[in-house]
Parts: sequence; structure tokens; C-alpha cells
Amino acid sequence: MIVAELPQRELARRLGGIGLRLRTGPVVTRIQSPLTRIIHGVALHYADHLVEDSEGFADFHVRVAPPRSLRRWIGSQVHFHFDGTRPFLPLPADQAFAMLEWGLNWCVSAHCHQFLIVHAATVEKAGFALLLPGDPGAGKSTLCAGLVSRGWRLLSDELTLLELATGHVVPLPRPVSLKNASIDVIRGFSPDAVLGAPVHDTVKGSVAHMKPPTVSVRRAADVARPRWIVLPHFERGAAAQLAPLSKARAFMHLADHAFNYDVHGRPGFELLAQVIGGSDCFEFHYGALDDAVAVFDELARRA
Amino acid sequence: MSLSSAPHWRSVPVDAIVWREWNDEFVVRNERSGSTHLLGPLAGEVLRVLLDAAEGLSVADIAACLDDGPKAASDSGLPAAIEEVLSEFKRLGLAESEPKPR
Repeated sequence: MIVAELPQRELARRLGGIGLRLRTGPVVTRIQSPLTRIIHGVALHYADHLVEDSEGFADFHVRVAPPRSLRRWIGSQVHFHFDGTRPFLPLPADQAFAMLEWGLNWCVSAHCHQFLIVHAATVEKAGFALLLPGDPGAGKSTLCAGLVSRGWRLLSDELTLLELATGHVVPLPRPVSLKNASIDVIRGFSPDAVLGAPVHDTVKGSVAHMKPPTVSVRRAADVARPRWIVLPHFERGAAAQLAPLSKARAFMHLADHAFNYDVHGRPGFELLAQVIGGSDCFEFHYGALDDAVAVFDELARRA
Repeated sequence: MSLSSAPHWRSVPVDAIVWREWNDEFVVRNERSGSTHLLGPLAGEVLRVLLDAAEGLSVADIAACLDDGPKAASDSGLPAAIEEVLSEFKRLGLAESEPKPR
């Protein structure tokens, strides 16, 4: 069963009670929340995701809820609970869904050490994965959203999971996090994209999430081989330009953007070396999504 | 091997190093420190010479080894550049200097 097959009332009942066991790629999370924003956010953004058995195993147990103390009447805030702890400061209630998303990212990046986890968006075409590691503001999520709106498969927006034994990317298709100007850019570029309502004044500015394409969620079990490592740089008005990047520098960039490279020691080094060795590496400057998509479609065509 | 009184250098043991070379650039993981470093052509070659050596080498020894390669041919600034690389290796824990031989 997928989330969209649950009547809204049943979805609310599970989230508000025993919890919704939601599968995202290799991870099952039990989510609890009485908040309307969470119920609507899950219904919209996770419509195509599998709902696991209510009695089944969950990797993480999370809850987004207002405080139980008198503070709930003073200010409208919400907490993210993880296995009975509250690892983060509370946020304004209108940021509840964003908080769930950021909390789920943290659950994976801090705990799923069966993978080497790189802070990168990743998309796929013809079985080949395009990794887009980058600092916040580099334009990786915008580029990712643009590519998946033009036929590339979403493997991940934030957390790229590399399988230790094979070096393959294990999909984690979850909502794409768009910030500030990117929200209207994607609205204009892909009018059919499903976006939640933006929330403003977050630590990242204005944030809206884009629902992952249905086909990407349905193919969440299909791994892909890394083929291109691309460091994106968005510059308003810049022409699309793909410039070669040395493999050694690309290696260091991936290592710097891996959450748990140090955890894995030598096997982590060997894995990254394998990924880099099998990939073409580039820096990419762009100012328009249409041009960017054309560049990567051509790259995929030549593969 | 040089018999001069100059310091002699050894790298960390070969089994404490894992590395890859792509187009004259090197990435090196030092198992002792847990750190990974990006090395340019000269630094990579110096490390390779030290790893291959059975005993400590002076700067002159290292320069002589590199002079066999095309990169360092007739480079009068080579010893100073090697000194600089070795200082950086010491800071990174990739190599250490031995007491001067008597």
C-alpha cells in the first residue's frame, strides 16, 4: 500500500496515534504527529511512497509535536523527537514539515553507516548516476529539480547513499528542498511540478518542497552506477559551461562532502577511489535550467 | 645513498599509506592520522621515492632519484622544493627526519 491509498482520515489516525511506517528507499521511519501541517505534508509529498506494516520494524522512530508544557499556549512551536530524545531546538509551527524533512535527513546522515553518505543530489539516466555535490547555495537542488522535471530519475536530493560493496548509488527519493529564488524558478520551469506551500523565515530562508516524481519513487529499489561527478555553480546570467575537473580534486571534494567518510576509514577511501575512477568529473557553471538540461542530456547521450 | 650529515627522511610505513594517482595528482590516506591529503606532482613523487626506499634518504638522495624522471630534470630549485615538501610531510605526519648519520 502507498500513502495515497490511505484515506486522509486513516492517515491522520496513524500519524496521530500508532505512527505511520513510511518506506523511503532502504529506510523505514515510524512517524508520529498530531499536526495538520505534517498530515497534509506527508499526504502531498509522500503520496507514492510505500506504507509498511504497522507492527513491522522501523529504523527510526520520530515525532513532530508541540510541547506538552504550558509553552504550547505561549508560542506556537514544534519539537522534533527521535527515539525519545529532542536533538534540535524547537521551530515555529509553520515550519513543521520542513523540520520533519531536516530531521529525517539527520536520522539518515547520523546513523546509516552501512552506506558512505555524501551531501549531494543525484539523478540517473540509462542506468548511470550523475552526482551533484555542493555547498548550500551552489544550485544543486535547483539543478536536480530541473533535471527530474525533464526525464532524469531522482535518486536523492540531499543524501547520496553509496553502497560499500559495489559503489552503486542506492536511491533515497524524497522531496526536493527548494530555497528562496529557486522556488519560483522551478514553478516557471516545470508548471506540472507539485510543490508544497513555501514557509518563510527559516534558517535557510524561504523553503518549499517538491514532491518526487512517481516513477522515481516506484523505482526506489533500482541502484545506479556513478558515471559523472559534477560540481554545480549557479551564476545569474552565466552561460552553461562544463569544464573538466581533475579526479584527485573531485575525490577530495566528495570526501569533504561525505558525512561519514571518517567512520569508514580505509574502505571509505577505496570506495571513493572506485567511484572517482569510474566517473568523468566536471565543474559546471550555469545560469539557466534549459541550457543545463541540454548539457546533461548530451552527456547522457554520449555515455 | 648519500653519506652527508644532512637529515635523512623516512616516510611512514608503506602499509600505513593508501593512495591513488590520477594524471600526476595524488590522493593519500595516512592510516596513522586518519587524514586524506591531495598531493601535487612533486609531493607525490617524493612520497613514492620515500616509500620505495629501504632506508632514510637525504634531500640530495631524493633529488637524485627524481632526476631520473622527466619532471625534475635540471631544475636548480629542486632541493629547496623537496625541503618544502618534506617539511609539509612532517607536519602532516607522512614522513619524519632521522638523526644525522655519523
